[in-house]
Formats: sequence, structure tokens, C-alpha cells
Amino acid sequence: MNRLPVCVAKLLFKSNNLTLKLFKVMKKIFDFWVFSHPTLKKLIMELKIVFLILLVSVSNVLAIPVYSQTAKVSLDMENISLEQVMDEIESQSEFYFIFNQKQIDVNRVVSIQDDNKLITDILPELFNGTNVNYLVFDRKILLTTDPLENNLLAIASATEAQQNRVTGTVTDKDGASLPGVNIVVTGTTVGAITDINGKYSIEVPQGSKSLTFTFIGMEPQEVSIGTMTQIDVTMTESAIGLGEVVVIGFGTAKKENLTGAISNIKTEGILTTTHTSLAQSLAGKVAGLQIRQNSGEPGRFDESINIRGFGSPLYIIDGITRGSGVDFQKLNPEDIESISVIKDASAAIFGINAANGVVIVTTKRGAEGKVKFRIHSVIGTSTPTNLLEMCNSSQYMDIRNDADVNAGRPAYISKEELDKYHAGGPGYESTDWYDATFKSHAVMQQHTFSAEGGNKTVSYFTSIGYQNEGSFMRSGDMYYKKYNFRANINSNFTKNLVAQIDLSGFLDERYQPGNKDYFFIYKGTTVSLPTDKVYANNNPAYLSNTFMDQSPVAFSNANITGYISEKNKVFTSKASLTYTVPFVKGLKIKGIAAYDTYNGLDKSLSKSYFTYAYDALTDNYLPKLLRSPSSISNSYSDNNFLILQGHVIYNTKLADVHNIGVTLVYEQKQSWSRIARLSRDYDAFYTNDQINQASTTNQQTSGNESESATMSYLGRFNYDYKSKYLVEFAFRYDGSYRYHPDSRWGFFPVVSGGWRLSEENFIKDNIPFLSNLKIRASYGLVGEDAGNPFQYTTGFTTTGGGGYEFTNGSYLAGAAFPSIANEKLTWYTSNIKDIGLEFDFFRGKLSGEFDVYQRDREGLLATRVVSLPNTFGASLPQENLNGDRTRGIDFSIGHNNNIGKFHYSVKANFNFVRTMNCYVERAPYTSSWDRWKNGNTDRWNDMIWGYSYAGQFQTIDEVIYYPGQNGTQGNLKELPGDYKYEDITGDGVINNNDMLPLLWNGQPKLFYGITFNGQWKGFDFNALFQGSGKYTLKFNANYVTVLMFNGANQPAYFWDRWHLSDPYDPTSAWVAGKYPPSRMNKDVGSMYKESDRWRYDASYLRFKNLGIGYTFAQTVIKKVGLSNLRVYCNASNIFTICQKIVKPFDPEKLPESTATAGNFNSGYTYPLTKSFNFGINVTF
Amino acid sequence: MKLFKYIFCIIIAIALSNCSEDMLDLKPKDMLDVNTLLGDPAGVEVIMANLYYKLPVEDFLYYPRLGYDQYYGKTRNNLNRGEICAQLTDDANYTDKSTILDNTGLEYWDYSYIRNINQLIDIIPTLTIKDEDKATLLAECSFLRAYAYFEMVKRYGGVPIIKIIQEWTGNVEVLKVPRNTEKETWDFVMSECDVAIAGLPEVNKSSSRRANKFVALALKSRAALHAASVAKYWNKAPLIGTAVDQGLVGMPASDANGYYIQCIEASEAIMNSGKYSLYMPTPANPAVAAENYRKLFEDPNVAPMESIFISGFVSPIREQAHNYDVMFGPVQCSQGWNFSGRCNPTLDLVDIYESYSNPGQSAPIVTTTDGVTNDYNGYKASNPYIRWDNTYDIFNGKDARLFASVILPGTTWKGITIVIQAGYVQPDGVAKIETKQDITVNGVKYYTFGGANTTQYSGFDLFSGTQTLTGFSLKKFLQEAVNVTPKAESSTSDWVDMRYAEVLLNYAEAVVESGYTANDAQTKAFEAMNSTRRRAGHTVDIPLTLTNVFRERRVELAFENKRIWDLLRRREYHEVFTGTVRHALAPVLDLRVDPPKYIFVRKYRSSETAKTFLPRQYYRSIPDVAASGLVQNPEY
Repeated sequence: MNRLPVCVAKLLFKSNNLTLKLFKVMKKIFDFWVFSHPTLKKLIMELKIVFLILLVSVSNVLAIPVYSQTAKVSLDMENISLEQVMDEIESQSEFYFIFNQKQIDVNRVVSIQDDNKLITDILPELFNGTNVNYLVFDRKILLTTDPLENNLLAIASATEAQQNRVTGTVTDKDGASLPGVNIVVTGTTVGAITDINGKYSIEVPQGSKSLTFTFIGMEPQEVSIGTMTQIDVTMTESAIGLGEVVVIGFGTAKKENLTGAISNIKTEGILTTTHTSLAQSLAGKVAGLQIRQNSGEPGRFDESINIRGFGSPLYIIDGITRGSGVDFQKLNPEDIESISVIKDASAAIFGINAANGVVIVTTKRGAEGKVKFRIHSVIGTSTPTNLLEMCNSSQYMDIRNDADVNAGRPAYISKEELDKYHAGGPGYESTDWYDATFKSHAVMQQHTFSAEGGNKTVSYFTSIGYQNEGSFMRSGDMYYKKYNFRANINSNFTKNLVAQIDLSGFLDERYQPGNKDYFFIYKGTTVSLPTDKVYANNNPAYLSNTFMDQSPVAFSNANITGYISEKNKVFTSKASLTYTVPFVKGLKIKGIAAYDTYNGLDKSLSKSYFTYAYDALTDNYLPKLLRSPSSISNSYSDNNFLILQGHVIYNTKLADVHNIGVTLVYEQKQSWSRIARLSRDYDAFYTNDQINQASTTNQQTSGNESESATMSYLGRFNYDYKSKYLVEFAFRYDGSYRYHPDSRWGFFPVVSGGWRLSEENFIKDNIPFLSNLKIRASYGLVGEDAGNPFQYTTGFTTTGGGGYEFTNGSYLAGAAFPSIANEKLTWYTSNIKDIGLEFDFFRGKLSGEFDVYQRDREGLLATRVVSLPNTFGASLPQENLNGDRTRGIDFSIGHNNNIGKFHYSVKANFNFVRTMNCYVERAPYTSSWDRWKNGNTDRWNDMIWGYSYAGQFQTIDEVIYYPGQNGTQGNLKELPGDYKYEDITGDGVINNNDMLPLLWNGQPKLFYGITFNGQWKGFDFNALFQGSGKYTLKFNANYVTVLMFNGANQPAYFWDRWHLSDPYDPTSAWVAGKYPPSRMNKDVGSMYKESDRWRYDASYLRFKNLGIGYTFAQTVIKKVGLSNLRVYCNASNIFTICQKIVKPFDPEKLPESTATAGNFNSGYTYPLTKSFNFGINVTF
Repeated sequence: MKLFKYIFCIIIAIALSNCSEDMLDLKPKDMLDVNTLLGDPAGVEVIMANLYYKLPVEDFLYYPRLGYDQYYGKTRNNLNRGEICAQLTDDANYTDKSTILDNTGLEYWDYSYIRNINQLIDIIPTLTIKDEDKATLLAECSFLRAYAYFEMVKRYGGVPIIKIIQEWTGNVEVLKVPRNTEKETWDFVMSECDVAIAGLPEVNKSSSRRANKFVALALKSRAALHAASVAKYWNKAPLIGTAVDQGLVGMPASDANGYYIQCIEASEAIMNSGKYSLYMPTPANPAVAAENYRKLFEDPNVAPMESIFISGFVSPIREQAHNYDVMFGPVQCSQGWNFSGRCNPTLDLVDIYESYSNPGQSAPIVTTTDGVTNDYNGYKASNPYIRWDNTYDIFNGKDARLFASVILPGTTWKGITIVIQAGYVQPDGVAKIETKQDITVNGVKYYTFGGANTTQYSGFDLFSGTQTLTGFSLKKFLQEAVNVTPKAESSTSDWVDMRYAEVLLNYAEAVVESGYTANDAQTKAFEAMNSTRRRAGHTVDIPLTLTNVFRERRVELAFENKRIWDLLRRREYHEVFTGTVRHALAPVLDLRVDPPKYIFVRKYRSSETAKTFLPRQYYRSIPDVAASGLVQNPEY
């Protein structure tokens, strides 16, 4: 505790002044209605003032010269530390305490009850019976155990002599007084607030340079003190959102001076959503930032993050290129100060790999001031957004029986047996496999504890966090846990030398049962038959045999089938020194070194297990051994990144109108990594899950190392004239280890400019309510790494060749022959153009940004293999051949307003983008039809060709006379109720030639989001709607296939099918249904051909998030020693509007993802969740 | 504060000192130094390991439906899911699919392999090894090239013969090489074999699994017989088109004898060398013969005298292990593995095996007292079925090799009785065959397929796809003693690609077909054919006729991927498959009698549609002629 410099000055009003002010406000409102709009802006300001006054009126103590004779304090505290009492006195009054900590025991427990008493009455009570002497000197209270006489002079000189009083009046530009203006001695926390007449009085410590005046809606002002004792200030209005500082590549810029397309979101905007993935906290909030959640699996983090449809962006965290999208998603949102999204060629300053845009994350730093502790805890529960109903055993048997009958085979089961399934008696019940495996909800919790503060020389922000996300598994064997920490430290070594040390890291673990992906567990719930049982003879000691041996109950239990545990240990560090060159104004030199290390520690155990068939005849359980042998593996990866940067930064202003900035940077990046994997099988008996306890038979190892290096020189020059005409040029010269020495250096420039029309007098004079209007444009070149490194050289390698057993029992690894190299291979380039418009009317009433953009890529990799004769015997190397073009628009519109005490804002953002192929290397077209059907060049690449659905066959005659649609089989396999397709060519055959580009592909082209924010008194409220459009979903597995895998279960909707009225009488009449007659895959004709019958429009709008919070009034929480307390609850994925058929799969999930390889477009991924969270945020 | 200034300067200095482009000169860590590798014979062996790995041997990994070049097979993604050549013929079925050779599959077009061999041929003269080692290596390269071209010519007819390494200069046209004629290509195979025969030692010092003189002779014996058959029988299924006009496919019958003689001479060189003989040529009785024959394929290393060329499989790592045990073993022994029992030998093949009591004749399975064996229309209550106490005795007296090659209903395998039952006849005479519906008669419950679930039976249950639908399951090659891990790529038993018995039968066929008489050929051929019969326990020799040679060849070499090429080279495929459905033998429990007994129903295999082979399929379609400009084969 260092109390000497701490002085919290408060300006307090008499309550009768408030009444007067309210009267004035009401009068103004009346004026407004009478005299219409000219007073509108004033009114808004008045409302703000009222709001402020409400917040700060605490007591009616008035500041007069002999403060101690008038200031009264009320205390009602029992068994509380002396320190807290002192705090309370300081908070109720302008008094502050001065003492030596060695002398005064601030932890002493006291009780005190005083109502509206003078300090001189309180102090004797407080220190009665102690050796503490006290002295009240104006607003200072000296506590000491020494004789007072010894201190008196010292105090007088130490306090009075060092303090100056400055008073003054603050007005707006019309001369009206401004109450509630915040005045701070620059660089300190010493402050005051203007009173009802706009007057203030502040004690200024000696040596202070200036005062800073701030007020909502006004431009901040800094006024130097000099020898003045009275400073009157006139404040001018600022437009909302302007003056905001945005982090850009290698620097910062004011929002209004940006010439590139850069979106920015601050911590408050991020934290309205609660989710384990940071990406989910951004979804729908930033124009052009496309985020799609592909699964809700704990710890999976397979959100696709994409800027403007360009592809995976580059992530820059605190100025350093760091990690992947997954690492980005694992950042603790609480640590983040702001995120900038660079959407256009401004990214060129990041050089290679910035072609898809850049996400810049800036973490929090501490500021000078008393230490502030913050605790944030959230607990939540979630349920799947939607679930799919599968066939019960009666429905399944109907379909299964039909499948044989419809294919001309004998019925699968007898009529008597089928009737028993319909009746559902003992032994014929349905098993709900989903219910047997999963529970209804999962639980999540997140906690962060942070501390920030500092003094003149050192400031810090530190945090530790914990996250635990459970799953729906009944077994409890799937979860994700994360521990993270961060320490960002600033140190001013001297006036001109500032150091920053940032350390952060996390440990996390993703644990899943069954030694298989969730995919298999979920698949198990859909393919296992409702007629199978979980346990043989319903005896829980014996898992039952099931169809395809996919029992999800076994897979979801780590004790039965094993587990996979993926752990990461990540440590990132950065040290920087900034030297402000004293003899050249505006010149800074900066050096940065960053070292990050990522360690992966994966372990997997696969256990063999038994399932059983119960033989009632003998009362035996017949075992079936599955997944034998048991095996265990460990794998380790160690990845290291070292980045060094040197910056020279120069900013100057010439003739007060020419702002010039220059930034020059050298950067080098190096990385090296090593992986190793070891595994063993268990012989007959599984011992325990340690490598050493497994058998030495079939033990395997593998490992490899790799390294990389790049060097870059980059620079930026910006110039503006009175912030009116803005020009910027930036470049990066990048060298990469990946390419031949002659092709490894690339130059990536960008030029951009802006014109702030609103700064022109002809606009200011004629359209005064136009607070900001800017047009801007950028044009530049960015690079992207192409293909594998070292393609410029070749040689024999043991990795590509096969081996042979020349001696029985021993394997000799062979060496593959060299392939053909391409010394000219280099990165591909992206040429990005962007034109944008920014506007703001009525200072935030209506603001927006609108951008159109185009990216042309050249040099995408392709091989000329298709045109080579296949007797050549080698494939050509990859070359920079192909090109494509992405075009889109994005815009955002915002509205801020106050209605009474209710402040609210609405923001909407929108992005529409398509990509076309410009050149695609391919074989010559064989015909004009080939060109039409298979051509790519200059065509949008987002369409899918399909057959045109023409209804269902109604009769067998219709099937016979309809054009053949199943190749050489004609319509032999078609039945009434099957789908028929249009014969587009009219040639009597339905084949490839009849396909048309009818359907959008699986990638959304349209993204939008709408956010609402509101505050009223202590309440805050936010809502987020988010949606995507212009894309389709197609699933492959049993969601869209009857009796997949020769007899697996299927969704219940397939029961509504064409079928014979009596399956045991082939001549009986057909009964119509929504789906075709049920058959095994091998027996169907054209039923599953690509058409809109199976590929559904997946456009959706979802109520993504709703949050309500309440911040307790200061008066209440001060008493319990807190400085801020907010509680909130929020809910996510509350409802979704989309086609009914895609709901159970959730349209946001991506079935055609390659991210989760091997999912066969099945939709067997972890469901997205609807969640409800409760959180508490405490600062003290 | 000076200290910090120094630190700052150091950071800048580090950054600047690293400003050397050397930093970017990294080397890939996965490439071997070419000079080091080729300067040492052991390094050459490393290269050979890759070339033998890519040698197109139709072994355990061969996945004919998709061909070597496709995903499976010799690019060794090694997912042979239980599909083998026999299933494309009348010898077997795939359990729940019904296929024969059609327009796709069975492809092998691997000019990258030819290029690699040519690369090595170019490098060898530059090596610092002894000249004699260089000559041997060059001869070995010729063997590999002969093998690869043989595999191409037997599929496509004439193909471009490329002996140099073509360079890419940006001009596609100069790379285009026209097809050689079929005859030129066969002759190239013959001449490459001759180079190998002349240059290779009788024993390869490095490994018995690399080519030697006799391996090259065996290859020539096989290839020459194929070429001769194509010439002789081409006109049985003639084709027309440009490829025919240019001689790219087809050869005149007059060329046949020349190739037959080359086959005879190559075979004879092996027979006369005294280096090879049959394994266990004189068994005590058929039971011993059966066990000897089974062991030969369980592990061909037990018979070095018969195994001329072995394709090795090693511990289950990487690509060098196979799936035969897990894919073909009966489901009752599957230990939970999901894809068992996938090769179902047909009744057609089982019928072919002779009985010891009637040598020289096929011995069809007789199921009725009237001896009718050509009624495949299924169960009829009125048929005079013979009733048996079990499902096994009906096969008594057949050739030992049947018992060693096929799991029959009731066979004991790995200590488990393999239950194969298609259904039952109710006491009222109505049969429930291949329809799952258990029945209780006189208080006793009978399961349709002879057991409660698939851990207890291996046949006729359509539901699970692991069941035989012909009544038989594959046994040849499977390991009875070794219990492999029930997962993919678990088997490491070796494949014998060339064995002495094939050489004998090649010789016998060539002699019979050509009427060759020199060097006492007729007698030697008679002896050759009967020697493999004697090894199977036969004691009565049969005359040297084409029919007898072919029955013997089909039986002796069953499932060794020979039948499909025999049907193709001799132009018999279209005769065998002309609206053909393969046949099954269904053991049925007859509940009309008490205690119940077994009857057998000869029937068409269920779920199989009639199959017809089109003559154009005698040649595969040339891939990607659009880019190469090659003349396509007829009718594609």
C-alpha cells in the first residue's frame, strides 16, 4: 500500500442542485418539442449528463476551505480492518491518509458506528487506546506513532508545498457550462469532476505538466499547467467511433486515418459471447470475418475462420506471427484488448502467407495505478441444437422386410415375426442407442483471475485461467481442459528506454474414449439396430453383439475400449526494447525477440473387448473378441519458433498540416521441429496403459525433423494533409527457404489512399450533421506459400519408396527414384483491390462502412500431367499455373442512440462473396459438350451439377415407359415411388448429359450478423443474430441412405415410404409415401443421384446469442470492498430458422469438411450446442 | 542505464548479424546423397528393394478389380478387401458381390516403373563396382523389364517399348511414342528374358528372392506359353479395328509354334538342371498328400526345391503384409474382425476334382440317388435326395487337393467345426433355404444356418456379408497354425510366384498344343503331368490329353491367379460366361426324418445375375489415349 500519491477527488453535488437540473432538462425537452430539431443534439447531451449525475451523486458533502470542519462521514462497520475503514472514509470524502506502513497496523480489527460525523470526531474513536497520533491538515490525515511535533514541518512542506490548486470552468463551444467533465492530472490518477456549473477544483502535485479533460462525446483535451492556477476549457464534440486507435501491421493508426479495409473489435464486444473457442466469440460480429462451427466437440476447435472467403488467415498475436487457427481459438478472451482484421492488400506488410488476410490480436497491458484484481467465472450447461429421430424396431423391421421384398427376394422375416415387432412385446422392444450412450446435457466452466496495475516505472497485466468442458457422454469420458497464464510487463528503464516482457502459455488436454473419434461413437448410435440390445440377455455384465460391431456404449467407455489423450504444452515469450531517440523528435528504435515453443504429447490406448450373444438354449454367453490386439502409442512433437525484429519508426508533423510517418522493419523467422512416435501391442493380456508394460511384439517407432527460415525487409510510409488527404505506401521484401535461391525473394507492395470529405468546408458548411465521410481505396500484391518446400531439388528418398523382404523375416526399406524438380517454383501471388466508403451521420446515430473488393490469384500450383503421354513414366513437378478471382462486398451499418436512460446500439454486417476460376490447367477439350460440362475457365467455382428432379414414379407402367435413367440397367431397378429426373436433352436417355449446374456448393457465399446492445441503469443487454446463405448440404451416410451398410438403421422419416400394402403379397397395391420404396443400396436404381432431393438448401438464420447482465451500483459494492461487480447470464444458439430437413444436422456444420478427415460427409460429427451460462465478474 | 542500452544494442546486433542469406539455405532432411547410395552394392540393394516392391507380381496384394495402378494392389495401399482373380472366373465368387471381368479393372500400365529401371540402367555403367557385378545388375534390370512388359502385353497387346529416359523439354509431341505391335512386344519380352538368362548367375549371392537364371527361365516359360496361346486361339474371338489392322493386337496362328518351342526349351532347361523338384512327390496316402499340399502354400519356404521365385511378406509394418487370413478365414474364426469369408469357391470348381476311384474324370458331387448333377433349380421335395449324417462325408474319395484348397461344410479348421448350412426342410416337406427363421420341432429348436449367430456358423446368411453363399470357403494359403491378429495387414506368409509344378504343366501344355516330339518330349510331358497328380496321392496315371492337362492345371494351380489368364489367353472366357450363373451346394437339414439328417441341393448361387463376357474384353482399354495419341484397342 502506497497511500501518499493516492488521492481520489470527488466532486459532489447538493441534492437540491439535482432537482434544479432536472427541471432544466424538462424545460429543454419541452423546448425541443416546441422548437424542433436544432436542439436535438443538446438534448442528447443533457440526457447523458443526467445519467452521469445519477451515477456520481453519493453524498452531500461540500468542499469548502476548512474541509475538515464541514465534511461529514457516515460509518457503520463491525469487525473490519482499519484499512477498510480508511478506504471507506476516503471513498466518502476527499480525505486521504498519509502514514508509514511500518508504524500503523492497518489490519487491526475495529468496529465503528457514526452517522454523519466530522472527521475530527471519528478519528479519536478509531485510534482510542493505540499509540497512533493523528493530524488533520486540510484533506490530509497524517497517522504516526512518532510525536507529532517531529512530523509537522515535514508534512507541511511535503504536502502543501508540493501541491497547487487549479480551478476553472468547462464549457461547450456554445458557452454552456458542462457538468460531469472528468479532469485528470495527466499520467496520474489524481482527478476531479466539474460541478453543476461546470466548475472544478483540483490539487495538482508539483511537477505535473498538464491536465486532461475528457467527456463522453467530446474530443479529449490536454492543457499544460505551467504556472496557471485557473484553466478554463472549451470542449468540442467528437464523432462517436472516431479518435479510436486501431492496431495495424507494425504500428497503430487512428480509425479515421485508415486507408485500408480494417475491422476492429474491442474486448467488450468479444466478451458478450461465452464459448470455449475465441472464434465463436467473434462469429457474426465483424463484417467480412466468416466463421463457421463445424462441430461442437469439446477441444476440437474446428471452426473454419475465413476472411472474406479468401481462406485461412494469418494470425499475428502481439506483433508476432503465431500459431494456427486452433491456437488462436484457444486464446483466453479475457486477455484480449482488441482484435483487428485486415481484409485487403494492407496485409502486404505481412508478406508471404498474408494473402488470405490477417487477424491481429493485441493483449491487455497494465496501466499506472493501484492494483486491480478481477475474477471472472462462468458456468454453463448445453444441449444439442437438434437431434435426429431414428427408426424404432417396428419401423426398422418394416423397412428391412421391404428391402428384400422390393428386390424380389423372400421376405426378411415372417409375417408372424413382423407382427410381434409391431406389437413390441417382450424381446421386441426398441433400443434407443443415442439415449443409451448420451445424456441430455453437458457442463462447462471457465474461470479467469487477473491482476493489473503499476507505478511510474513498472506496469503489468497478469492472468491465469481455467477451462473445463464436458461432453454428452454418459460415461463422462470425453472432455477438454485448459490452464492458461499470461504476464505482460512494461518497464520504463529510463525516460527514453521502455522494455516489454510478455510471457504466456497454456496446458490443455483433449480426452476422448474408445480410441476412436467421436465420429465412430455417433455413427454407432445411428447404424446400430433398434432391434439389437445394449446388453446380452439385458445383463449389464455382457455387452451384446451388434450390427457391424459398432456398439456406441462400448466405444464411449474408456474402461472398455481405451482412449485418446491429446495434450499440448505451449509457451510463448516476447521481449522488446523501445528507445525514443532523444535528439531527434519523433524517432524511435525498437528491437523484438520472440521465442515460442509448442509441445504435443499424445497418448492412445486401444483395448480389445468382448461382446456376447446369449444362447438361451444353453444359458451361455458366447463371446466375440473385438479390436484385438490391444495396443498403446505415445507421440511427441516439439516445435520451436524464433522471431527477431528490428524497427525504426519516425513520425513528424510539418507546418502543422503535413503528418508524415515512416516505419522500417527487418524481420527474420526460424522454426525447427521434431516428432517421434512409439507404439506397442499387447499380447493376449492387457496389463496397463504404459508402454513398458505392453509386449515387445510389434513395437514400432517413427520420427522426423524439419526446419524453416525466412527473412524480410518491410516498410511503410504514410502521409496526410490535415487528416484530410491520406496516402500510404507499404512494401515487404520476403525471402523464403522453400524455393530455389534464384526464385526465393519476392517484393510485395501496397498503395492506398483516402479522402475525408467531411473535413472539407463545403461539406462541413452544407451538411453539418455529416460527422464523417471518407472514401478510400487500396491496391496491392501479397504472396502465399505454394506446395511443399524444396521442390527445386530432388534425390533418392526412403520415404517414397517401397521395401522388400529379400531375406525371410527381415524388411529392407527401399529408396524411391528422384522425381523431376522445378527450380522455378515460387509462391503464388494475390492481387487485392478494395474500394471503401465510411460514413457517420449525427455522431453515431447512423454510421457505416461499405467495401467492394476483388482478389486475383496467379501462380496457383498445378501440374501439366494431364497433357503428358502416359508412357513418359514420370509426373511433371508442380508449376505456378492456375489462377482464380474472388469478388465480394461487405458492409456494416450501426446505430447508437439513447432513449431516456436507455442507451442502445444496433450493428449489422453483411458479406457476399464468390470465387471463379480464371485459368485451370487441363487437357484439351474433346468436344464443345466437354467444354460446356467440364470447363472451368472464367467460371464461378461454386456450383454443383445435378439432375433435375421430376417427381416420383406413380405406377410400374410409368417406370417402364420413362426414359432409362440408370445406364445399362435402364429402369430395371426402378419402382413406383422412385425419383425420376428430367430428360433435358430429350434423347430418351437420362445420363450425364442431362445434368445441369443447378445447385450451390457446400460453401456459404453469404454471411451476415446483427447485434443489439442496450444499457439501462445497471442492466446491460446484448443479442446476436447470425446467418449464412447460398449454399447446400449433402450428407452421404445413413441420414440419406436407406439401410446403409447392407442393413443399418436410418432416420425415422424414411418410414414414410412407398410400400406394398401387404409385403407378403407382391401383387398388392402400392401405398404412396414421401420417400421411395426401401431397398438395399445394391438394389436401387437412380434413387441417390445428385439432385435437390438429397442436396438441401442450408441457408439459415440463427439467434446466436442473448446476454443480460447487471452491474451493481458502486454505493452498494463499496461497502463490501469491491470496485465493480457484474453478474450476467447468456444463452447461445437459442433457435435456428432453416429448412426442417437440415435441422437435425445443424446447417452450420460442414459435412464436406476435410478438416475432420474421414468423416465421409456423414454428419456424424459432434452436435452444435444450445447453451446457457451464468457468469460473475468481480473487480476489487 | 547504460546496461540496458547495451542490451538493446545487442538485440539489434543479433538481428543484423543474422542478415545473411545463408540462413535460407536449408537442406531437405529426407533425401539421400545419390553418389553415396550408388557407390556401394548395399546401397544398390536399397534401390532394388524398391524395384522388387514395385514388380507387378500378382501376389497376395493383387486387387484385380481395380488393377495394380489404382488405389489398391501394387501401389500398396494394401486394402485388398478379399477380392482376388479367382472370383472373376468360374472358380469362385465374392461373398456378397457377383462379378466377372468386365471393361474395367485388371489394369497394369506402369511406365514410371519402366522409367526407373531405365534410370538405373543408365547409372550402372558409371558405378565404381566390379564389371561382373555391373553385368549381373544389368541382367537383373532386363529381368525386371521383361516381367513388367509381360504384364503389360498380356493385358493390352502391343505397347510402346521405351528403353531410354525421356527428358521433359516443354514439348509434349516429342514424348509421344507409338505402340509396338503385339508380336514386337512379345519378342521384346522374350529377348529381355534371354538377356537375363544369359547374364544372371544360377544363384544370386545377395538373396534367393532376387532373380537368378532359373527365375528368368520360369518367366520365359510362362510368357512364351501365353504368347503362343494368343497366336493359336486369337481367331476364336477375332476383333476388328485399327489396332488389329496395325497388328497392335493379335498375332497369326503361324506364330504359335515358335512361342510354344520357346516355352518348351525354357521349361526344359529348368527340368534338366536338377536344381528343382516337387515337394513331397510320393505321399503315403491322400490324407498325407492333402497335408503336404496345404503346407506348401501355408509357407512356401518349406519347399525350396519347388519354390523358384517367392514374393516375400514381412512383419506387419508398412506395405509388406497382407490380408488373406483375415479376409478369407471363415467368420467363425474371425475373432471379431468384420470382413471374413469373402472368397467362396464354386461348386463348378469342386466338381472338377477327380475321385481316386475314377481317375482321369471330373467327379461332380452327387446329391440324389438318381445321380442327376445338372439340375440347379433348387430344392424339390420330390427329388430323391441322399441323406447324410453330417455335411462332410459327401466329399469322401475326392482329390486330396480339394481338402487342402477348400473349406468344405463340416471342415475342422483351427479346432473349430465350420458350420455351413443353408436351411432346413420342415417336417411337412416345405424347405426354408436362405431365409432366416428358426424352427422348433418336437421341442427342439433348430437354427436356419445351424447356429444362433455368426460366431457359430459361416454360411448362407445374406445379412452380414461374411458368409459363403456357395457352400465353400477358401483354405489354400491360409495359415492354420498361426493365429494372425484380427486386423488389416496382419499376415506375413509368403507368396510363391513361380513354382516347379507350373513349369511342368507349362511344358506339358506346350508339348500337347504343339505336338512337339523332339527330345522325347511326349514322354516327358506325360511324366510331368502325372507327377503332380501322384504328389496328390493318385496312383493311376492318365493319358496326356489336352483335357487332362487342363483339368490338372486348374486343380493344381487353383486360386494361384492362373485360371483367369488361362481363360483369357486361350479365348475361353466368352465360352464359359455366356449368360452364366455360378453354382452352389447347399447343405440342408432334413427335419422330415428323426433324427434329422443332411441333404444337399445343387443350385444356382443366390443373388447372382447371369454373366456374359464380351470378346473386346480380351484386351484392356488403353488408358488416356487422348494425351498419348496411342491407338485404342478394338471396340473401346
